[in-house]
Amino acid sequence: MSEQNTGRGRGAAPQPPPPIPTPDPKYAWPAKPALLGTAVKRIDGPDKVTGRARYTYDINRPGMIYGRMVRSPYPHAKIVSIDLAAAEKAPGVRAVLAWKEPGAEVVYQGDPVAAVAADTEERARDAAQMVRVRYEPLPHVSTEAQALAADAPKWHSTQENTRAGVRQETGDLEAGFKEAAHVVEATYSTHVITHVCLETHGAVCEWDGDQLTAWVTTQGVHQCAQQFAQSLGIPQSNVRVITQYMGGGFGSKFAPDVQGLICARLAKLANAPVKLMLDRKEEHLDTGNRPSAFAQIRAGVTNDGKLTAFDGRSWGTGGAGANANFPLPYLYQFPNRRRVHTDVYINAGQQRAMRAPGHPQGCFLTEILMDELADRVKIDPVEFRIKNAPPKAPNQMWVEYFQQGARQFGWEKRHPTGDPAPGPIKAGMGVSAHLWGGGGRGTQAHVDISSDGAVVVRCGTQDLGTGTRTLVTIVAAETLGLPTSAVKAEIGDTNYPFSPGSGGSTTAASVSPAIRITSIKALDALFARVAPVLGTAPENVVAEGGRIHVKGDPTKGLAWKDACKHLGTEPISVDGQWGEGLSSSGTSGVQFAEVTVDIETGVVRIKRILAMQDCGLIVDKLTAESQVYGGIIAAINFALFEDRLLDRVTGQMVNPNMEWYLLAGMSDIPTIDIVLNNMPERGVIGIGEPPTVSTASAIANAVRNATGATIRSLPLHPHKVLAALEQQKAGGTQ
Amino acid sequence: MSSSKDNLPDKPDRVSVSRRDFLKTAGVGSLATAVTAAGAAEAEAQAGPRVVGPGDVPVALTVNGKRVDLRIEPRVTLLDALRNRADLTGNKRVCDRGSCGACTMIVDGRTVYACSTLAIDVQGKQIRTVEGLASSGSLNAVQQAFCDVDALMCGFCTPGFIVAATALLERTPNPTSEQIRRGLDGNICRCGTFVRIMEATVAAAAKGVRRV
Ligand code: FES
Ligand code: FES
Repeated sequence: MSEQNTGRGRGAAPQPPPPIPTPDPKYAWPAKPALLGTAVKRIDGPDKVTGRARYTYDINRPGMIYGRMVRSPYPHAKIVSIDLAAAEKAPGVRAVLAWKEPGAEVVYQGDPVAAVAADTEERARDAAQMVRVRYEPLPHVSTEAQALAADAPKWHSTQENTRAGVRQETGDLEAGFKEAAHVVEATYSTHVITHVCLETHGAVCEWDGDQLTAWVTTQGVHQCAQQFAQSLGIPQSNVRVITQYMGGGFGSKFAPDVQGLICARLAKLANAPVKLMLDRKEEHLDTGNRPSAFAQIRAGVTNDGKLTAFDGRSWGTGGAGANANFPLPYLYQFPNRRRVHTDVYINAGQQRAMRAPGHPQGCFLTEILMDELADRVKIDPVEFRIKNAPPKAPNQMWVEYFQQGARQFGWEKRHPTGDPAPGPIKAGMGVSAHLWGGGGRGTQAHVDISSDGAVVVRCGTQDLGTGTRTLVTIVAAETLGLPTSAVKAEIGDTNYPFSPGSGGSTTAASVSPAIRITSIKALDALFARVAPVLGTAPENVVAEGGRIHVKGDPTKGLAWKDACKHLGTEPISVDGQWGEGLSSSGTSGVQFAEVTVDIETGVVRIKRILAMQDCGLIVDKLTAESQVYGGIIAAINFALFEDRLLDRVTGQMVNPNMEWYLLAGMSDIPTIDIVLNNMPERGVIGIGEPPTVSTASAIANAVRNATGATIRSLPLHPHKVLAALEQQKAGGTQ
Repeated sequence: MSSSKDNLPDKPDRVSVSRRDFLKTAGVGSLATAVTAAGAAEAEAQAGPRVVGPGDVPVALTVNGKRVDLRIEPRVTLLDALRNRADLTGNKRVCDRGSCGACTMIVDGRTVYACSTLAIDVQGKQIRTVEGLASSGSLNAVQQAFCDVDALMCGFCTPGFIVAATALLERTPNPTSEQIRRGLDGNICRCGTFVRIMEATVAAAAKGVRRV
């Protein structure tokens, strides 16, 4: 999963559709499914609404104590000394440890330094404050501009503030600009946001001799176990990782991280189970973020609206030593293009993959430019995009979505840039498009069928809230011809067969085929045992409607339970794994937004969003739609509200909480319409990421359409809207 | 007090406050807190001060109709007392400072942020958590509606929303959409389930929430 921690969005330009290999017909998805694609209620809904569901944060073990970390308050400093003596003697303290050595450098506020464990959480907090760390503060850089200044201090004593990133060149740039009738030149940017998983990162670790059981809030139980083993120097067979329920990850929870390793070490030292969950401030500072993106772009277009050239110099920061790449230009076809990228390092927590890494940034930088270009040649933005979009293919449905979406949204009512209506409230519409890769492989699974008819499906995947447990249940039930209530799905545990980490919208496409294939193998084994009873050959037997019967003759058969009785003392127990042809990768989508802008206050309100999205074969209509709603709302936050603010002078985060780090509430949510393009012939494709890519750009373009002022940087906070309006009055935004 | 989520719309003497309006007036809010504290100090001066702690003290709570006896430091919040000492982990800790609603409980009929309420302060009051809403195994109307329309994803915000929506419907059985929005504005969902939370709350109101 190389994209997980690099933030490198794949596919700067769309790829030709990957061929969909034909599956072994034996495993093909059913032509007339009973459950697939219907609205199946989330299997674990009742556990979640009653509070019964146990998240990592909720694990309480006998004799459990609480861990707490000590972190650097400075953005950049040298540790002079660490004195643990007072903390060791504090009431209730059971273990203390230094994570860093004197002499080491801390490179961001929140950089881990030491940790304690005590019998209550309150006492662990007290003791953490008694760890005496002496620092020698060093000069820091907290913004991209500070880091790029000629005489800038260094983010790290031995490392540079920049690193040359990707460099791409295609076609003949000079000829492209010569061909252009108009050239737009401007700088665009997006800001840093944090994941704000409601369940903060953390773990509960318990040792039994040299065996470690770790409950971790993670997107990859197997990956986590591997890293615990490597970092602690113990065999992986001695590590069990469990994640029954988790409160959001969004790309930030693939590893035990420092807090997980510290938790395991504290548990060993104290000889007691330890719970170490980060608090909200730590979560903002040290568990990842979406890197910033900047691009100074020159782009050319012909009088009839054909893109000719793109020349972009881009940069961005992923924090202390972490890169910040993103695809650019995004999606549209610039025949001649150059892009030169620089990664900038500042003294801030490192970035991690965040829902569609790189794409929301690249999409914004390109899509605002697209509207500016469209205005130059006086072509409607939808028509302009259709002219320059890649040709139609199963994973490239943009042209159709633009047309169909425009009709459904009432795009013909859109006025040209600048709402002519009197009064301070201006309305406008905007559009934007996106792509994503997805696709999956690697998942293994196990199915048991007992003589009492019980079915258990085990798979070491995990449910981030996307509905994976429900999906496993649906696919198994569909295949076995049973209701979902007759299938028990067990996931989220390294005791179950391997499944990759859940990132890149790959889980549905990895897990669904594995469950399908393993369930069919289980059926084969069952048919072999039951067919003789029915007086026929196994290949003449089918399972449907809760019965095992002779093909074409439902009366010649047995109820599932009665059939399973024939298993006697030897149940069915089979393994299987992901196979080709039941899933594919590559998705496309288009979104429309309508907003109003109060030009006296600068406040933007979103009225409506329409999302056109393909997603292959839909497994569960309810959870698939929820993913799209969720992606859009996440992007509304990105566009209008959230912003990680670092104080330029102190280098500290100004809003490491949930009152000044703004997130949408009920009153901020517009009407959202979703059109899901079910394409069963493509097999299962993940949908967690694509819908979050283009919403912010559509909103920003709608603001531009409403006000006539171009805001080339996110978030669209009122002060920026007002500033853009001022600039426009002065004649400056064109 | 800052722990009160008193934004329920059916109280005529109070202006309903959305989370965002509240942010705008946060400066005024802290002033109000100071005034209240001064008032409390005056009252205490008359009755004579009562000092408890700093060590563990007995605290008796009535949670979902059952008595829970704890020995805790007076600084322990209602949320931590129940989650860490009584293994009632349904309500979640997310921001731990009254800005997300995940810890929402009902105390004597009013919603509070349990992360910003001291356990010792709610002795003798009726405390209801998310665990106390379903009656003899069957979900209440809000819980059922959340499941029916998929008004949850990761589910970490869900207990807070369920409690807040239940409290809202108990006090305002037929809310307008505006009242629902206001009533739930104190809760944050990062997965983005708001559209369906609205749907679920409307559906639950139609069915009616019966107090258990
Ligand atoms: S945890 Fe109490 S309001 Fe956020
Ligand atoms: S469902 Fe995940 S935060 Fe609301």
